[in-house]
Amino acid sequence: MRLGGLLLRQWSRRPGRALAAAASVAVAVGAVVATWTAADASRQGYQRLTEAIAGVPTIDVTARDGQRFDASAVPRLADVPGVRAVVPLFYRPSLVRVGESRLREVAVGVDVEALVAEGLLALESGEPCREEDELVLDATLAKGLGVSVGDEVLFFARRRIARMRVTGLAATDSLRWFAEGATVVVDIQVLESMSLATAEVDRVRIALAPGASRDDALAAVARRLPETLAADVPAGRASLAEDVLHSANLGLDFVTALTLAMAWFIVGNAMLMNVAERRRGLTLIRVLGGTGRQVRRLVTVEAALLGGLGAAVGAAVGLAAAAPISAGISRALQTTAPGVAVHPLLVPVAVALGVVIAVAAAWWPARQATSIDLLEGLSALPAEPPRESMRGLLVAAAGLTAVALACELAMAYGFLPPRASVVSGVVLLLAFVAFTPLLLIPLVRLLGRLVPSRWRIEGALAVSQIARQPIRTALTAGVLVVAVSNGIGLGHAIRDSVDDVLGWYAKMLKADWVLTQAGALSVSRQDRGAASRAMQEEVGRLDGVADVEGIGVATGRIGGKACVVVARDLPAGLPLPLAPVDVTEADVRAALERGEAVAGTVLAQRTGLKAGDEALVEVFGRSTPVRVAALVVDYTSGGASLVVRRDAARRLFGMEAADVLLVTAAEGRSAALREPLEAIARSHSMVLRSYGDLRGFIDRIVSGVVGSLWSILGLGFVVGSLGVANTVTMSVLEQQRSLGLLRAVGMRRGQVVALVVLQSMLLGAAAGIIGLVSGVTTALFIQFASQPLLGHPLAMHIRPGVVIANLLAALVVTAVAAWLPARRAVNLDLLEAMSAE
Amino acid sequence: MQMPSPILGTERLEKTFAGGDGEATVAAVRGVTLGVDRGQFVAITGASGSGKSTLLHMLGGITRPTAGRVLLEGVDLATLDDDALAAIRRRRIGFVFQRYNLLPELSLVENVSLPLALDRVAPARCEAAALAALEAVGMAHRATHRPDGLSGGEQQRGAIARALVTDPAVVLADEPTGALDSANSARVVELLARLVADRGQTVVLVTHDPTVAAAAGRVVRMRDGEIESDSAGNPRP
Repeated sequence: MRLGGLLLRQWSRRPGRALAAAASVAVAVGAVVATWTAADASRQGYQRLTEAIAGVPTIDVTARDGQRFDASAVPRLADVPGVRAVVPLFYRPSLVRVGESRLREVAVGVDVEALVAEGLLALESGEPCREEDELVLDATLAKGLGVSVGDEVLFFARRRIARMRVTGLAATDSLRWFAEGATVVVDIQVLESMSLATAEVDRVRIALAPGASRDDALAAVARRLPETLAADVPAGRASLAEDVLHSANLGLDFVTALTLAMAWFIVGNAMLMNVAERRRGLTLIRVLGGTGRQVRRLVTVEAALLGGLGAAVGAAVGLAAAAPISAGISRALQTTAPGVAVHPLLVPVAVALGVVIAVAAAWWPARQATSIDLLEGLSALPAEPPRESMRGLLVAAAGLTAVALACELAMAYGFLPPRASVVSGVVLLLAFVAFTPLLLIPLVRLLGRLVPSRWRIEGALAVSQIARQPIRTALTAGVLVVAVSNGIGLGHAIRDSVDDVLGWYAKMLKADWVLTQAGALSVSRQDRGAASRAMQEEVGRLDGVADVEGIGVATGRIGGKACVVVARDLPAGLPLPLAPVDVTEADVRAALERGEAVAGTVLAQRTGLKAGDEALVEVFGRSTPVRVAALVVDYTSGGASLVVRRDAARRLFGMEAADVLLVTAAEGRSAALREPLEAIARSHSMVLRSYGDLRGFIDRIVSGVVGSLWSILGLGFVVGSLGVANTVTMSVLEQQRSLGLLRAVGMRRGQVVALVVLQSMLLGAAAGIIGLVSGVTTALFIQFASQPLLGHPLAMHIRPGVVIANLLAALVVTAVAAWLPARRAVNLDLLEAMSAE
Repeated sequence: MQMPSPILGTERLEKTFAGGDGEATVAAVRGVTLGVDRGQFVAITGASGSGKSTLLHMLGGITRPTAGRVLLEGVDLATLDDDALAAIRRRRIGFVFQRYNLLPELSLVENVSLPLALDRVAPARCEAAALAALEAVGMAHRATHRPDGLSGGEQQRGAIARALVTDPAVVLADEPTGALDSANSARVVELLARLVADRGQTVVLVTHDPTVAAAAGRVVRMRDGEIESDSAGNPRP
């Protein structure tokens, strides 16, 4: 008989043990496949969400003086890595007449045919316009006007009125990335000709390929431009979605990495138990003359076989779970599910992963099996963990903690990118898991005192059972520590990040109506100052308007870094829509009234600006020194903003016009203002939105992102639960003999079940407590890692509901996991149980 | 005329165990010098804690001495690494335990052939040798049974067959009758004595049972880790 035959005999004699070990690999690999797929689906969903909100990722090339410029001044940019298309754009306020309806709309001139061919403009019907008497309309506008493809409209631009045929209707969403509110699309040469502005453009917008690095492309483009032109991320577009999504993406990285760690613990524990249960048999082989190598090979081959079998099942289950998970995440994000694309290498890689994890996880138990003293190995008593093991764990835990802290400090001082927080977070979690064997027994003993007196004996026995095998029970607990830490840590971090952004938007958007300049949020025109003032006065005169605040926006540069200069009226009667850092609101108002500026924390982080510094701000091609009085939390353009009062902006930078009007209605008069504001908006080529529209738009992002992340965290908990269930089952199988002995000395079946369930729940409670501390620390780490991105620390709020839910879940999972195996164990014949190995 | 060297011997053998939690170290075996000739049936007796089992485990290469030497067929076991020691145990020593220690998932013949299988002997030869060993102990008719289908005495006879299958230099038995009733004990002792008489097998067994010890040709009594008396030589003062 060969040793391979021995392996098969052992499996056939104890199929439950072998299956449980294979099941652990199945759970682990299935979890990795499902989480990986879900995370991938989330990232794709975020990408689509970002594009739906902010359009295709872009870079703008504009004239430094804010004027139109000759398109031929732009060098060749199509070959810059990451560039998908280079799109010259020309905007023109226009008049469209359909029947008796006359509408003031903004027309945008662009190479329509090229955009459609490139897939950057979608037509719901019809075809691109090419000739000078053709145009494309926004489909939503067309529907409102009752216009179809083939209809004729009167189009008035600067030079002439033209009867133009509608050749196509453009999908509204697909216009968003370049149209800036324009609803009429005309061939650029036609519109330039009609406007007597041949070859002149307002900007050249560069569409980036999916996945391209915007920063790299921006730097490459900027290097090629002449002095008169500048490249920037379009203001206001850059970070609206990214404000919420940056921590979500970080969270996805964490979850994926932690799922791998959890997979390791699940399999490691199963392999350890699988080998430990056969300690006597493996020692006997050595006593009879088997070499250590033979025993190690036996254990390793078994691990590889069980790993391959488990991985094949796990990959299949993971893939089966991937489709509904991806669909659910897409629903949460309110985007279209892309469908699960199964890479041909996914299954073989997953199987290989399972084998590798199983063999690697069996390495230490195999080493233990061959290094244990022969007499100790033959004894019926379980081996005590050597003191060196516990000391080694303490050293490992301390070392991992030091590495994690060093990583965080390196990030704080800019030596490592913020994404390194994923590494430090995982390392910190591993440190907590390494501490678990040292903390678990004292915690369990403490919690054992809380067991109701009705189950006092069972509780005491449960504590002693756990204390017998500290390292093995710690591995079981480690799975729960990871799951609870994930749930509490990431849950808090994500909610705190989202609440920070939502809180800012709530403070920022304190108006009932918002009027935005079509084509605005990018370049403020000096020549629109008078018209802008007139419009603001007109709005202010409306019956029911309590206040009107004008906001001007211009792109600028400080120290070579792009920024957004925001000029605000900041009426005295309204709360300050800025969150000052280290100063009071009164100080900020006073500084702004003196003509000084306040800087967003992200701008400060990027440029090194501090409160009290004098900065040289370049706007419209002119550099002006400005004192930065304080720093504020401001998410306009991702926090890269410099805020001044409008009168100071006029004096310092020549910013005249208001690109945005925030209209506050008198009590109960908001709805009545819609019609008159719409009329004013049309006559001045502006876009009107209600606060409710904007808030709904932001809420959509938030709920989708939070929903997708909770789905993945929930998946992690399910995986953890399966892992715990599996190891608890193995643990109960292992205890059959001792449970049989207890029954033999008179313990009732119900008492034995209570003992097993209590044992499991005590583990769950102790793991939950360690997971809570780990989770809170992880949340702090993530918040700390966000600081370089946001320039300010995020406030962390402990959410009792999240904490209690996770702790309760840990208790319930462990209780349920132990129930069935316990019932099976006590229903075994007494002699059979006592003779079990 | 030169006397043949003992097949198994010790020179000033010592074994000390470290005490736990601040307790003093324990000297289980102290300076034992012993020689066992080929074909001898030696019983090592003594009270519980006298060091007899520890001595046997060192003779079998299961545990390494703290000081002194164990010589098997002239080879000092202390000079061997783990793999070489395993080979010695596999080929030259047959061990019989108190609790039989048969693998429950294997049949009796598979258990008996295990040392040969570990030595990579061809399966057919393993089975043939195992059946022959079972025949020698009167258990060939139960070759295909699993250990949990055998009585204690049958399992112990199977374990003795396993100890014999490699034709070892010496069979070491640690309380082989400790888990058996008197009838089965007598059968096992009789079997061991017959192996010595008929095959010239060298057997060293440890027992606290004087009737078992009486069956051996030589009795070595231990006390507090030292040899108190040896029926083959003068008793210690």
